Amino acid sequence: MNENKPEEKSLPVLRPSTDILERDDGYWVYMDMPGVDRKDLVLDLRENELAVSGKTGVVAGEKERFLEVQFGSGEYRQTIALSDLVDRGGIKATLKNGVLELFLPKVEQIKPRRIEITAE
Amino acid sequence: MVLDFNTFYTFPDRFDRLVEEFLRPAYGDRRMAYPPLNFSEDDENLYVRAEIPGVEMNDLEITLADKTLLIKGERKPEQGKYFRQERPAGAFQRVVRLNVSVERDRVTASLANGILTVTLPKSEDTKPRRVSIDVK
Repeated sequence: MNENKPEEKSLPVLRPSTDILERDDGYWVYMDMPGVDRKDLVLDLRENELAVSGKTGVVAGEKERFLEVQFGSGEYRQTIALSDLVDRGGIKATLKNGVLELFLPKVEQIKPRRIEITAE
Repeated sequence: MVLDFNTFYTFPDRFDRLVEEFLRPAYGDRRMAYPPLNFSEDDENLYVRAEIPGVEMNDLEITLADKTLLIKGERKPEQGKYFRQERPAGAFQRVVRLNVSVERDRVTASLANGILTVTLPKSEDTKPRRVSIDVK
């Protein structure tokens, strides 16, 4: 559709199972990305969204014969829309045991802006 | 996939992505036992691999019975106010029937990037052997 490059077509696109939750300090996002190494993970912070992608490959010896295959290689892709409540500068990402943890802190204080109208 | 959990924004390419999403085959929507397993072998070993992201070795219990391998564990849910919950949580268990006998004392398990690999060395008597046949 918009950015389908030929080399990306070889890998099936997987959508990581995602949890989004709120705690007092901000929003926490967890994505299951088993098999993705830290160097294969790409985080792309755009204006209003955070795009995550990571490739996973099958680890196997040369002589291995597969009798049963229930998961395989692919590219995980997910995009999260960021609200104005998120402090973009403070976003933290951690990849541990195949789970990507994103911490999206809330901005210090959301001040409603009042527009003063001066009548003349 | 675009996840919203707050303010509405207009994205120029969002509709495109929505269509792309819709046309995509539901690869991740497989209804099968959890966790997904790959089972393979070579001349030396049997390999059982499982996708269990977020699970530590301590949360896993791997038992080798006579001819079955049992993988048990638990995925603990995160605490907080959920906007979206897709990741499976709770106890899981899978049983793998082994087709050959293995050397029980040399079975090893490792965990890397959320993928568990159990390596089961085949017993000497089940390894393929080359038998030379004299042709007379």
